[in-house]
Formats: sequence, structure tokens, C-alpha cells
Amino acid sequence: DYDLIIIGGGSGGLACSKEAAALGKKVMVLDYVVPTPLGTSWGLGGTCVNVGCIPKKLMHQAALLGQALQDSRKYGWQYEEQVKHNWEVMVEAIQNYIGSLNWGYRVSLREKSVTYLNSYGEFIEPHKIKVYTVRGQVTYHTAETFVLATGERPRYLGIPGDKEYCITSDDLFSLPYCPGKTLVVGASYVALECAGFLAGLGLDVTVMVRSILLRGFDQEMAEKVGAHMETHGVKFIRNSQIFIQVEQLEEGMPGRLKVTAKSTEGPEVFEEEYNTVLIAIGRDACTRNIGLETIGVKINEKNGKVPVNDEEQTNVPYVYAIGDILDGKLELTPVAIQAGKLLARRLYGGSSTKCDYINVPTTVFTPLEYGSCGFAEEKAIEEYGKQNLEVYHSLFWPLEWTVPGRDNNTCYAKIICSKHDNNRVIGFHVLGPNAGEVTQGFAAAIKCGLTKELLDETIGIHPTCGEVFTTMDITKSSGQDITQRGC
Amino acid sequence: GTSPACRSTFNVQDGSDFQDRVVNNPKPVVVDFHAQWCGPCKILGPRLEKMVAKQEGKVLMAKVDIDDHTDLAIEYEVSAVPTVLAMKNGDVVDKFVGIKDEDQLEAFLKKLIGA
Repeated sequence: DYDLIIIGGGSGGLACSKEAAALGKKVMVLDYVVPTPLGTSWGLGGTCVNVGCIPKKLMHQAALLGQALQDSRKYGWQYEEQVKHNWEVMVEAIQNYIGSLNWGYRVSLREKSVTYLNSYGEFIEPHKIKVYTVRGQVTYHTAETFVLATGERPRYLGIPGDKEYCITSDDLFSLPYCPGKTLVVGASYVALECAGFLAGLGLDVTVMVRSILLRGFDQEMAEKVGAHMETHGVKFIRNSQIFIQVEQLEEGMPGRLKVTAKSTEGPEVFEEEYNTVLIAIGRDACTRNIGLETIGVKINEKNGKVPVNDEEQTNVPYVYAIGDILDGKLELTPVAIQAGKLLARRLYGGSSTKCDYINVPTTVFTPLEYGSCGFAEEKAIEEYGKQNLEVYHSLFWPLEWTVPGRDNNTCYAKIICSKHDNNRVIGFHVLGPNAGEVTQGFAAAIKCGLTKELLDETIGIHPTCGEVFTTMDITKSSGQDITQRGC
Repeated sequence: GTSPACRSTFNVQDGSDFQDRVVNNPKPVVVDFHAQWCGPCKILGPRLEKMVAKQEGKVLMAKVDIDDHTDLAIEYEVSAVPTVLAMKNGDVVDKFVGIKDEDQLEAFLKKLIGA
């Protein structure tokens, strides 16, 4: 009955559906949120809108405003009252905004005549899905083409007490009470961003890290991100730990939890009390219960992700997949949106443009933000060989940090150039305020084939943080000191 | 008074309740489409209720939460909230979106009653 049925109404699914509908196709979108173990659920729009990028950036902003308030006194602002933070006021404001986004998506689907079902669906035979409605009824729908865009959900520890007492990012952004003293388990960007803003709001935060920070990212930058968080009061436990259990000592909003863990290196037992334990150890693709086996779509058994070719097609020709569930691809909203739009245009618009997954810029919104585009240094070395690279770097001191007396040797900029390709910039990294804003423009430049020479010929805007990239002289290979001296 | 007949404002329960109490109502009804997450709705709602009460039963007010009654909101093409429809004999005869002050609301209601 449909040209296209999309399973999943998140960043990728919605973008694909609107584009296909605009091209005149009959489209259906299924979106269903299985509530968290604690009962949290949300509306249309997927992870980014509801429990990801949007609330994350708003809470990060709330924390940055706290820092700004501290700095403001040095700039002459005088106020008597002690500044405190009210968690409930912040969550209500953020959730109200998210509610308006959920509604906006419903309106835009309706305007484009896309059929939307807030229901769970699964494949029962080729080209056919069974849909469970809220009232327990079952309906069936067929389509010529299907797109899987089901996204992911947080993984739990698999220990007693994890689902009963711990929260994940799915719960954090709508938590109706302040989380209090929090243990964040994990070292992903989800873990560090959450730990970062919770600490910025004044909470006592500890991060428990199994091995490295920000796996997959440039490790020199990751360590600097962590170091900055530590100077800002976030505690890190960096021994490998095996979690034993989480017990509830007292119910409440928040309650009191006791975490017990054992070190893998010795006999020490770790026992500590927290109000909240936030588990951020990874996310699993939602591909297990939608009947993919029934129609023969292959998934990577280890992680549940879907392998696709460069046109996002699975091993079953009429089934495509986009977004976080793709095996070996980036888990980013703009990537899912781009992939979804281009897929619809290829299917129905006669286009042949494929989604470009190279040189996708990203930013980690930790208290000190980290933006990057292209290769991590260690990956570049692996791919090109150290002797074929020139790495330029510099510490920098944002002008706005001078008056409040914030450290002048914290913010850092690094570019990696390929010597045999005209010193082409193949890796861009910046650790500093507004890293996302700084990185976006340079990502476009990299797409245009930015070289070190072009960068040097570009005149900087003064006074900004971004201008540091136009005057980078010191290479890592020279061994010269980049420490800034105060002027 | 406190009997249902004296209450000029009510919350719509479902589609058939809307049919009975709004579409088929011999009196004109203003329908306030609102949402929990909408700040301006929280200002307009009470203000409109107050102005409706002032009209001494000549007009009634129906409140529809668009997240609870999405089908209804979609049927009446509500995109932004607050959206207020003026309904007479089952037809939408007037409409506005966003906040209005008391004088503007009074004029809106008087026009609905008078027309």
C-alpha cells in the first residue's frame, strides 16, 4: 500500500520521509519509544531531539552560564545574592522546548502527507510489516521499499541493581529532581558531556573510566579534555573496575545508592555512596526485535548494527538503513539527515549522489569543547606514516579568559598536514570555547582541499580563538615549546 | 453557581465529546488549543477564561490539549499554539494564533456572539 515505509522517526527517518514525500511518494513513518526501565518515554523526533544533542547542548549551556556568572564579577558585575541553580526550572524549560519540537515534527509530517504511526512494527514476510497499535490491535502494511532508522538505546552494566536503580541519558534530561552526587560510568562523549555539565551546575561528580577517554577520538585531545574536567572538580577513577552491584540504601528523589566494585588489578574493593548512578558505557542498535531475521536482513551479531553498501542498501535489495544503526559509520544527526535525504533523492528523484562520510566535522561539548574534522593524529600516522606528516600546534589564550584570570595554557589547536600532498590539511583539532562554531567553517575549507599554505594566506579575524589557525608556525617535529607566557 | 450548566469553560474529553459539546452546541463556543509545553498558552488560557466568564453564558469555552487530542488538532489544522477557534453551529467563523490582551479578546468574543 505504500511506496516507502520507514521504521524509526528520528533524525534520519524523518529527513528521508519528508524528502520522499516531497518527491510525490506515499510514505509511512513508524516511531515508537520503548520506555526505559524507570518508565521514561518521549515523543516524535528520535534521540537527538529528545534525549541527545538538543537537551545536552541546553544543559551544557546552563553550565556555561554558571561559569560566565563566576567570570562576570571580574568584569565588574556586582550582585549580593548567592547564585544557585534550580534543576527543576531548567528541566521544565528544556522539556517545554522539546515538546514544541515533537509537535513541530508531527505538523511537518502532516503537511507533507506522510502517514505517522506511533506504533511498534516488525517484518513478518517480504515487503510486509505487522504493526501493534496502542490499543493492542494489529494492522498490516506493505511497501515497495523499506528504510531502517531505528537508532540505538543505552546499554546497561548487567549487574544486580542496574536497571532498578541506575539511570541513563534516556532518563537524565527529563529527570524531575536534581540528581545530586552522581557517579558517571563510562568515558564516551555521552559520559563526559553529562559529567561535565552536571559538575558545571554545582554537583559532586565522579567519572569511572575503564581504560581510555573518548575511544575513537584523537587521544592527545581526549586527555586534554579530561585534564580540564579534573581541574574543574570532576573526579576520575581510572582503574579498571568490575562492577559487582548497585544497592539502594534509601528511596527518594534522589535516593541514596551504594555502588560496589572490584579492581581488576588488585584485591581492593571500591564502595561508595551516590545519589545517582548514570550509566553511559555505550549504545546498542535497536535491530533485534523487528523481524529482520524473517526477511533475511543480515546484521553484525556482535553489535546489532546493519552493514550496508555505499548506497545504504542492506543485503536485501528493497531494505535500506540509515543513521546510528549503520555498521562502521558515524553516529551523528547531520550524517543521518544527509544520508536520509540523499537516499530518498536516489530512490525517487533520479539522483546518484551518495552520502560523503569523509571529513565529517564533530564537536564534543564537554566543559572545554573539542571540535575536530578529519584524522586523529594516531590514525593519520597509521595511514600515512609519521615521516609523511607535519603536525602544527599551538596553545592559545581566549581574550575573554584574560580578565577573569583563567589559565593561558589550556586551549589548544592542532592541524595535521600531508607533506606529499601539498601539505594538505587532513586533520583539524581545536580545544577551546565555541569549538563547534570554530570547526564548522574549517570543515568546509577542508572539503575544498585546504592546505597549510592557504591557511597561512588566510588573514585571521582579531580577536578570536579561530584566528590561531591562520598563524601556526611551530611543528611538533621541531620540538619547540608552545607554552604561552603572560604579557 | 456550580452546576455544569453554569460553567462556561470545560476540557474536551475526546472526539465525540467535541462533537456533542462544541460542534452541536446551540451556543457559540471558543476552542482553545493549547499544550503543556507552551508558555504563551499558560498566559492566554486564564485570560480567555476570564473574558468568556464575563459574557455571562452567551459563549462557552472548550479547552483542547493538542498532545492528548492530536487527531482533533490535526483535523482543525492547528500548527502553532495557542490557536483559538470561534465556532458557531459547527463552523469555524473566526480564529487567532498567539496571545491577545483582554480588550482584543473581548472584541473577538463580542463579534462571535453578535454575528
